[in-house]
Amino acid sequence: MEPILETDNLWKIYHIGKVDSPALRGVSLQIMPGEFVAIMGPSGCGKSTLLHVLGGLAQATRGSVLLDGNDLSNMQDAERTQIRRCKVGFVFQRFNLLPTLDVRGNIRLAQHIYGNEFDPHRFEMTTNVLGLSHRLHHRPSELSGGEQQRVAIARAIINEPKILLADEPTGNLDTANSDAVLALLRQLHRDLGQTIMMITHNPEAAAYAGRVIHMRDGLIVDGIPA
Amino acid sequence: MMLELISRNILHRPIRTFITVVAVAVEVIMVLVVVGLTHGLVTDSAKRVEGIGADVMVQPPSASVFMAFSGAPMPIKLAGKLQELKHVRYVAPVLLQFSSSGRLDIVYGIDPQSFALVSGGFVFHEGHDLQNPDDILVDDWYAKARNLHAGNSMSILEHDFHVAGVVEHGKGARLFVQLKTLQELSGAQDKASVFFIKCDHPDDATAVTDEIQQMLPRYVVRSLKDYMSLMTSSNLPGLQIFINVMISLAVCIGFMVIFLSMYTTILERTREIGVLKSLGASKAYIVRVVLGETTLLCTVGAAVGAVASFVITHVLVHAFPTLVILIQPEWVFRAILIAIVGGLMGAAYPAWLASRRDPIESLAYE
Repeated sequence: MEPILETDNLWKIYHIGKVDSPALRGVSLQIMPGEFVAIMGPSGCGKSTLLHVLGGLAQATRGSVLLDGNDLSNMQDAERTQIRRCKVGFVFQRFNLLPTLDVRGNIRLAQHIYGNEFDPHRFEMTTNVLGLSHRLHHRPSELSGGEQQRVAIARAIINEPKILLADEPTGNLDTANSDAVLALLRQLHRDLGQTIMMITHNPEAAAYAGRVIHMRDGLIVDGIPA
Repeated sequence: MMLELISRNILHRPIRTFITVVAVAVEVIMVLVVVGLTHGLVTDSAKRVEGIGADVMVQPPSASVFMAFSGAPMPIKLAGKLQELKHVRYVAPVLLQFSSSGRLDIVYGIDPQSFALVSGGFVFHEGHDLQNPDDILVDDWYAKARNLHAGNSMSILEHDFHVAGVVEHGKGARLFVQLKTLQELSGAQDKASVFFIKCDHPDDATAVTDEIQQMLPRYVVRSLKDYMSLMTSSNLPGLQIFINVMISLAVCIGFMVIFLSMYTTILERTREIGVLKSLGASKAYIVRVVLGETTLLCTVGAAVGAVASFVITHVLVHAFPTLVILIQPEWVFRAILIAIVGGLMGAAYPAWLASRRDPIESLAYE
């Protein structure tokens, strides 16, 4: 089986004034289809940068990123945007829902950007799985943190992405809501076979994943094998 | 979905939306009322001259189609020569004089008998025709605006007149005095500004025009049909420039308001732009969102402006009865188009800026 995501000697260097600041220093990893991988590490170790590069939000400075066979490192912004649209779903720590749209609108927006006509079956299935059916006409400001994150997950998976990239998805939630969201991610992984890569600094959250990769100073320090 | 996204964005900031819509509406009102005023001025002037009922007009050499701009260099004895021409039934000499006492008015100095023969005579609402040297006739619109009635006194051209009668509007000017009186007041003894000629038959106008032109080659001789075709705002010196300047100002206002409105919106929605990018929205998609919002704001503003223009026109005409504002349907569409295109130009840079935002920086924006 081919990995769904593979990096080789991945570097990301930020240029701050005249100073080069490497955030990734040659990361190599493989994620197989259907895996649930957690990436752990202290603040500033390059976890979020890795997620941004893997999701096509940022361009790698060196090395390769193969996502479902597409090398993101050689792509222009427009091509990476298209790959992101079709193959990646993002979940952020701060939910990042559009405040002007209700739950239904936020989820449908992802379908609209993807270019799909509204698929009522997929929409109903997703909102049922995530327990949002009774909150569809509520604005984000009317939802709890846990509910907002469930909407963000629904938005991320509505177009059946190849991989779900979650950046500290429980970072803004209390324990009960954190557990609920993590259980949902595990359910998506188990029931739907969704490939998930989750960044966290919480060992309890990482325990929900099938594999844990540790990072330090822009490098993977253990947990590399797929 | 795009429309829902755009409309929700607009409704999310009602004050900003209100101010932007009002600014666009003001832009449209400026265009429509200014153009309507100039068009109304020219059309009203032309219709009143047409209402005299003459078939041919004779003016001095190099005279403007706008008669009030011409002096009075024609000797009045020319009327006798014109009267002798074939197919000429009546000739009415008229002296024109601007009056700027209090407001701008054009006064016709007429010989009541000849003017009545050419025009068919006044329709009197009140009073009687010019009889004494100090008599003045006012039309009904002027009388309504100044609350004048037969028997009142009024001062014009630094001279006190007695309102002899109130006549139906549409016979050239709104104020009529004796020709001799106006000649004395303006120092133009035995002079006339224009000769209105009534032919035996309207079809004779061309032959009469040609004959007069042969007799007076340097004079401006026009049939009424030609005159009406020349009475457009583009033929009034400086008027078209004035219209263009006003339209440009209106477009600048719309441009700047939309620019500021959309620029601040883009700054305020930096994080949302990052979210759209993380979902895979292309640069074109984000440009479409910004320009779509602009188009909707401008369309609503332009529609409000168009309706408000008619309301303002109604109020102005009611308050100032002699004012004529003609808003033409083609200008309504032009004004709406100007507002939308100006708005889109104003939103172009913010839209471009939004489309080029870095998604990671945008998502980190507080």
